[in-house]
Amino acid sequence: MSGNVERPRIAVLVSPAVHPVSGRACAGAADLAALALGQALVASGAPDVFYAGAAPDSALADYLAHGCRRLLVLRHEPDQDVSASLAAAVRPYDLVICGIRSGGGMSSGLLPYQLAELLGRPLLPGLAELSLDSGTVRGAQSLPQGEQRLLEAGFPVLASVHPRAATARPWRFAGLAQGRIEVTPATGCGLTECAFEPERRALPLRAARAERGHERMLQAIAAGDGQAAGLVVNQGDSVEKAQVVLDYLRHHQLVDY
Amino acid sequence: MALRLDWALSVVVWLGALLLAAGLARRLALWRQGQPAPVAWSGLLAMPRRYFVDIHHVVAREPAIARAHVMTAGGAVAILLALGVNYGLMRYWPVLDVVTLACAVAMFAGAWQVRARRRAPPARLSRGSWNRLPYSLLLFAAGIALIMALFLLGPFALSRMFGRALAALAGIGLLLGGAELVLGIGIAGPMKHALAGLAHLAFHPRPERFGGRSTGLRPLDLRRPGLGVARAADFAWNRLLSFDACVQCGKCEAVCPAYAAGQPLNPKALIQGMVAAFAPGGPEYAGNPHPGQPQSSAGAVHADIVGSVLAAETLWSCTTCRACVEACPMLIEHVDTVIDLRRHIALNRGDVPGKGSEALANLRYTDTVGGHALAARHHWAVDLDIRVLGEGMNADWLLLVGEGGFDMRYQRALRALVTVMRRAGLDVALLGAAETDCGDLARRLGDEAGFQRLAATLIATLNRYRFAHIVTPDPHLFHCLKNEYPAFGGNFDVHHHSQLLAELIDRGALSLTAPASGGGSVTFHDPCYLGRYNGGFDAPRRVLRGIGVTVVEMPRSREDSRCCGWGGGAAFTDIPGARRIPDMRMDDIRASGAGRVVVACPNCSAMLEAVVGPRPEVIELAEWVAERLAVDVP
Ligand code: SF4
Ligand code: SF4
Repeated sequence: MSGNVERPRIAVLVSPAVHPVSGRACAGAADLAALALGQALVASGAPDVFYAGAAPDSALADYLAHGCRRLLVLRHEPDQDVSASLAAAVRPYDLVICGIRSGGGMSSGLLPYQLAELLGRPLLPGLAELSLDSGTVRGAQSLPQGEQRLLEAGFPVLASVHPRAATARPWRFAGLAQGRIEVTPATGCGLTECAFEPERRALPLRAARAERGHERMLQAIAAGDGQAAGLVVNQGDSVEKAQVVLDYLRHHQLVDY
Repeated sequence: MALRLDWALSVVVWLGALLLAAGLARRLALWRQGQPAPVAWSGLLAMPRRYFVDIHHVVAREPAIARAHVMTAGGAVAILLALGVNYGLMRYWPVLDVVTLACAVAMFAGAWQVRARRRAPPARLSRGSWNRLPYSLLLFAAGIALIMALFLLGPFALSRMFGRALAALAGIGLLLGGAELVLGIGIAGPMKHALAGLAHLAFHPRPERFGGRSTGLRPLDLRRPGLGVARAADFAWNRLLSFDACVQCGKCEAVCPAYAAGQPLNPKALIQGMVAAFAPGGPEYAGNPHPGQPQSSAGAVHADIVGSVLAAETLWSCTTCRACVEACPMLIEHVDTVIDLRRHIALNRGDVPGKGSEALANLRYTDTVGGHALAARHHWAVDLDIRVLGEGMNADWLLLVGEGGFDMRYQRALRALVTVMRRAGLDVALLGAAETDCGDLARRLGDEAGFQRLAATLIATLNRYRFAHIVTPDPHLFHCLKNEYPAFGGNFDVHHHSQLLAELIDRGALSLTAPASGGGSVTFHDPCYLGRYNGGFDAPRRVLRGIGVTVVEMPRSREDSRCCGWGGGAAFTDIPGARRIPDMRMDDIRASGAGRVVVACPNCSAMLEAVVGPRPEVIELAEWVAERLAVDVP
């Protein structure tokens, strides 16, 4: 474990996204969550924010409007691999937070893994929640079907976060003038050739019994044949009917009053 | 003895003048906390005209109290002038005493009527020191009348014990009542309104409204730091002065739709909040508060207004309907106040409540309020074979559709409008995917930066195309183009569709052969941005008359119309109240007994259509015109 436990150095990585309707440059949802987390975790509220790539400053302005005070840009030529220069830039930091994937470009979601490999540091991927506890980063990784897995690692560490991990500060016009973008030229090698393949579909869940939902519901409420547990109450006023429901819930300990 | 009394009165007159001047100087120092503003000194010359014409225009709507005010104020002014000449300059002409006596009698009669109204005051009136005022005025008038009578009777009267006692009594009344007049401005009493009101008339922040209409918002310089108004001192000095003119009559409160709906906005309390913000320590506000909010606290000149004298929800409740501005006898501009404060919040803090932030983000990224693709705005017209204007093409009439193009209900109205225009033989074209939002919503929500970008975009687009006139069924778009774009270099010949339809009908360009459908009576709902903002009261009524429809007017129609609740982005910020504004408007419509209500705005249409039934049917103006043509709207 290295780094300053009391005042950890935190870097946030962002990149421009493409608006799904208009195609305009805007802030990426996951990167905004990363920025918001960085702002919350740094005492000054202004973490160091990095972008590496060829996008013009105007495409990054949204992050300033969302409260980023200083955005350090490693300006590359188009179509270059930015991972090496970015890794060098964020090496001094105890915690590097980025979005799970950018909202534009290739959106492959690979960059956090590449950085972790280049830096030889652990990566906590896809966090829906992140907290710091004296040099340890804890997070809940969000998994399909709403499942979560708790992860933790000591400094230095990388984390990629889900768009829902934090709420971004509101977009403020005044922020555009208050923040600044500092550009440093950077070089990188060409992108490695990659082959695209279609996303593999997860297997759909199978129901335990091969009946339609409607049939299962009918079974649950069917009365008369003595088999189903259901009870149809169509007599009495609303208070009496509500009483039946309440009794049922109490019987099954679904309410405790 | 009589001579000595003359002198005494002269001393009193001079003392009064000095106290008045000292009070004015004190108030002036408070106004000067504001920002410098260019004002024309010629306003001083225009003051009498503005007083007798423009103010009278508003005040005359309530004739009884207007008469009482003329007698009281006219009497008081005349008395002060006469005293100034006769006793200030030590002339002691008996004829002026007679004039003064007559004026005092008139003033007494006026103040008596004011007092009578104060005994059972309407809820909108402020109480506190305002309840004291008629008595002070009565004392003053009675005192002056008595003294003048005694002077006219001559030394004989004053040589008697009874006469002296009367003189002493009159003197006390004069001093007590006169104190109200001369100290009013200094201690911020009710009489503050007289001097502040006159100065406000001379240095009104919108001098163009005299003898015309001035409803467009002022551009904000986005390069200057601050962006909008946070503290009282951020207002221009003459805006601070304007707040001091308020007489707390509550006419604004009585017409405010947000107040009636129980939302936390009372325009009178808003203006008094501004007074508390720049002149802390004045007399406590004794009127109705913003509903659901604690009685507003005292402000501090250097504190943010939002959070001290009012809550942000107060600002976001306003529909910018201008009913208050229209009703205000002191010609105070409430909407400008709301917008300046909103601008600061929206641009600096970015926390626009409800769906407001989302709408602003949509505008930022898609140039539409709903976040739609621009090309989708004209999907309703694909089968109409209507031209989409391209570069180098020419059209007589360019139809700007507005956000209503995305609304399935309003698309029926748009199709009807196109049908009518074509039947009249007009050459009409659309902008297609090149039409971007006009920025109305962004501007009313305080996002002036967003508005200026949208305005520049649309102006640049329109300048690229060749057309003679613009027509739009959306009064908000109409208002922006007509009144607010010129400040950004956009000058177009723009018409609201009601104006175009009225003209076509007047010209006989439409053959209205089909019978009008449906029986029952019909009423018309004036859109704020067509009516109060642009004076477009007659055109829609001319159209309805032209197609043979008799309109049953609601009591709240034309200048007094009640907003549907959409304006100013209020449908987006959606501040909770006890009721919803459109429901209240629908009650107005129901009360008129009409089975149908005609609207002339996509937003009124959406708000009123969303009222749960059973309720009168909502019809767009163009739809009804199309019904009378012997064609089907495709
Ligand atoms: S703002 Fe105008 S209408 Fe409202 S209380 Fe004051 S003077 Fe009356
Ligand atoms: S503009 Fe309309 S909603 Fe706003 S304060 Fe005035 S009357 Fe009320």
